[in-house]
Amino acid sequence: MVDTKTASGQPERLQLLRVLGPAHIWALGVGIVLVGEYMGWNFAVGKGGMIAGLIACWVAGLLYTCVAMIDSEVTSTVAAAGGQYAQAKHIVGPLMAFNVGLFLVMAYTMLEAANAITIGFLLDTVAGMQGHTGLHQQPFIVLCVMFLAWLNYRGVLATLTFNLVITAIAFMAIIALFLSVQFGVSSVPLDFSAVTTDPMPYGWIGILASLHFGLWYYLGIEGTCQAAEEVRSPARSLPYGTMAGIMTLLIAATMTWYVCSGLIPWEYLGQAGTPLFDAARVTGNRGLMVLLFIGTMFSTLASANGCINDASRAWFSMGRDRYLPIWFGAVHPVYRTPYRSIIFLVPIALIFALGAPLDQVVTFSILSGLLGYTFMTFNMVMFRRKWPLDTIKRGYVHPMHPLPTIVLLILCATAYVAVFLGYGTQLIAMVSFYIIASLWFHFRRYRYVRRGDQFTMPWPRPEGY
Amino acid sequence: MDMWTVLEYAAWALSALFALLMLSDMVRIDTTYDNDLLTSSREGEIEAAAERHTL
Amino acid sequence: MAYKPPKQSFAGQIFDVITLLVLTVGALYLPLYLGLAGAAKTPAPIANPTWEALGQNATEQQQWAALGITDPAAANDIITARFDYSFSWVALVVMAILVIGYFVLVVRLSDREYRDVIAERFGAKKK
Repeated sequence: MVDTKTASGQPERLQLLRVLGPAHIWALGVGIVLVGEYMGWNFAVGKGGMIAGLIACWVAGLLYTCVAMIDSEVTSTVAAAGGQYAQAKHIVGPLMAFNVGLFLVMAYTMLEAANAITIGFLLDTVAGMQGHTGLHQQPFIVLCVMFLAWLNYRGVLATLTFNLVITAIAFMAIIALFLSVQFGVSSVPLDFSAVTTDPMPYGWIGILASLHFGLWYYLGIEGTCQAAEEVRSPARSLPYGTMAGIMTLLIAATMTWYVCSGLIPWEYLGQAGTPLFDAARVTGNRGLMVLLFIGTMFSTLASANGCINDASRAWFSMGRDRYLPIWFGAVHPVYRTPYRSIIFLVPIALIFALGAPLDQVVTFSILSGLLGYTFMTFNMVMFRRKWPLDTIKRGYVHPMHPLPTIVLLILCATAYVAVFLGYGTQLIAMVSFYIIASLWFHFRRYRYVRRGDQFTMPWPRPEGY
Repeated sequence: MDMWTVLEYAAWALSALFALLMLSDMVRIDTTYDNDLLTSSREGEIEAAAERHTL
Repeated sequence: MAYKPPKQSFAGQIFDVITLLVLTVGALYLPLYLGLAGAAKTPAPIANPTWEALGQNATEQQQWAALGITDPAAANDIITARFDYSFSWVALVVMAILVIGYFVLVVRLSDREYRDVIAERFGAKKK
């Protein structure tokens, strides 16, 4: 459709295909994140107790609402594959863009690894329930990554349509569980006595600490803007899909907390691998169990699928600008996907999926995401300062600037402290990694980059430069 | 050998199949097309044509 | 005058990718191998565990049973495990300096590079 083969003898160019609509954006955003309801969020309960789980759910929801608002404004204006990476390149500068690109690739590849681990774990649980002990999880982990990479390789429209279907089913499964429990299908009643008898097992510091995994309810919603180059009308679809996504997630997150906290003793919940599936097990209803098994499978698949999509777009964009070897900047001539990036990231995801424990991988992903949200705060301020509202047309202007930015910054700072409680070494290792990578980029890699070509938006000169 | 063991082998086989499909296609594309064409994508090109950011 | 980057050899491209890979894998696995990856909960099992002693009421006991744990001794470790949130303020300050320092470093170096980009794209600064 959009081939950009120009008539006047210009050389033919390969571009990504513009085929997606707002529903695909919703599916990409929610698809990546919804798995957070099926696993991972409950470590927040483990870190601070039941109340802490709920507070973390809402505080993180506020954080992500700010993220979605800020992101919608910038991305509806900077519509390019690579999302926040392209934003950073135009607004802050090349080194920041390189870092943001790495945040994205790390956050999504780690999330993908976490998803594959969960699939292996879930199948192991089910096999155990059927009396088969000692299932080898590796083949299923590898298959999950390989199949989804192949799907991504074959084209974005099929990939995200697949995501739309399985995400919708996984979302319906949560609602079905919530409604069934409300109407008394469960053989075991809901019990919230721990809220009154043991409200804060760690005191207030537990509530702070639980914010760490509270982020997991929503992590990845900002991935919607990776599809900017493949959406039919980015200025409209991206804000719409992103905002609809965050609303869906707020609803799903609250229902998940309610059902799981009511049905599962918090001590168990705090360390469970697949909390929603466990909640269905407690109800004793076979139909719900099957439904939530399918929901867990689908949400993890949808998430891993979206992650491959997003990580490869970010990697591809960096290759295209020569931040990474240009070899990665290739587009498949038939399927129009960044096929070399997709293949390259497969073994990396596998290294982590097969070799590292789940909570470490999750923390690695959360930290990269968190660094990215911190970037968004000053990115937003600089965006408004370099191009005030009356200089360029924005697809969406978020209200109450700079309030969301300030709230986001405060919440990010709190989240760093939360991660520090218990995972301080990880935090220091990661930041050191990014510092070394930055120096490497600035002093070695950047000489292969064309300077003026990096700025591709048809905007006027930024103010103050 | 029960069902789960069969599934394990099936999963290995399918993984290998998908890996092979992708790799063989990549080799085919890389040898058929010129690398300059494959890496000819540029950021913002459609953008410049489709949406002017002016008021 | 536009900056002309050198063309990178294929070997150079591979070398750069491997550098990044080593850094990435190192960042995740180093803390794991050094045994520094924290956040293990330590169980403090009680003697002669009963459901009542473990603070589980009748409904919660039903829930445990539905999850496949009918013996309170088996749940002992899960129920009594707690995180240790004691931390040193020095470490917290070090972390804060590291994170803030990182962002300051990146933004400042970026700004230097950004001025080149803008100058090349829009021409020399208009006075």
